[in-house]
Amino acid sequence: MSTHAAAPSQGHELEQSKFWIFVQIAMLLAVITGLELVTVYLPFMRWILFSVLVVLSTVKFMFVIFYFMHLRWDRAFCTILFFIGLVLAAGTMIALLKLFGADASKPLAAAAPPAMAARAA
Amino acid sequence: MSSDAATATIDHHFDPTTSTGIPNKKVLMWAFLASDCMFFGCLISTHLIYRLHPPPGTPPARQVFSIELTSFSTFILLMSSLMMALAVNAIQKGNLKSMRWSLLTTIFFGCIFLGCQVYEFRNFVYEKHLTITNSILGTTFFTLTGTHGLHVLVGVIWLSGMLLYSFTGRLTEKEAIDVESMGLYWHFVDIVWIVIFTAVYLLEYI
Repeated sequence: MSTHAAAPSQGHELEQSKFWIFVQIAMLLAVITGLELVTVYLPFMRWILFSVLVVLSTVKFMFVIFYFMHLRWDRAFCTILFFIGLVLAAGTMIALLKLFGADASKPLAAAAPPAMAARAA
Repeated sequence: MSSDAATATIDHHFDPTTSTGIPNKKVLMWAFLASDCMFFGCLISTHLIYRLHPPPGTPPARQVFSIELTSFSTFILLMSSLMMALAVNAIQKGNLKSMRWSLLTTIFFGCIFLGCQVYEFRNFVYEKHLTITNSILGTTFFTLTGTHGLHVLVGVIWLSGMLLYSFTGRLTEKEAIDVESMGLYWHFVDIVWIVIFTAVYLLEYI
């Protein structure tokens, strides 16, 4: 991951080539966004479409953090630091969705304001 | 300042003066972004939970959202990320003029994104009657996308400040880390939107 030990001339060539890498990745990200848009209208089962969307957005996410945010060329410490936050966030999200994803989050009729309760009835 | 000779001597990915070998500003920004991940993670999961049980009378999210507008916003933000990456690349090579144009384009794209969001919010409130207080879906949606929009606004202000600062003559290749840190923040705003676009908008259509 780290390339700081590379020779200066190699580093200069890398800087030159980064321009085209960034342009190509941006085009790829635009194409993936288009694919996501098409995916939601495909007549497949919901779990398949869900999986495809998750994979596509993960690919976009990874391209941005590793190329645009330079993690690919930076020291591994930056990647580890960011992924600590990312893993904690993902864990928190999964825990919250497991805890409250079912009927537990349904608003209680008794706790609703009178007008809302009347409409619900 | 220029350039080719200087480029060969400055390694922007390594700072021998720090114990980690990474510029401290960069470590600080990565630590902040890691904490911001948790912040947005909570907001996104809250929306995902409460969108399942909208109160009576709330229109389905699918009828409220405009996928065309949101896709356009996503494309604009992705292109702004490209311009930001090019701005960082330019300042690392000491090309101040190119950096200014890239920053200006990034600001322009950021403003377009904010304009789309304001238009979307107005449409939701006045046409679709979805407000931050009339349903839980509205509360979680406006809180999440509004917080992201606020991040974009902060980014646009920061970018504008950096663009003005570049005209003072004090921004050189040696201070590229300042632009890179700002770039990290801007790209983070982009990756958060990548998740929001899928989790909040696209999931409603499947």
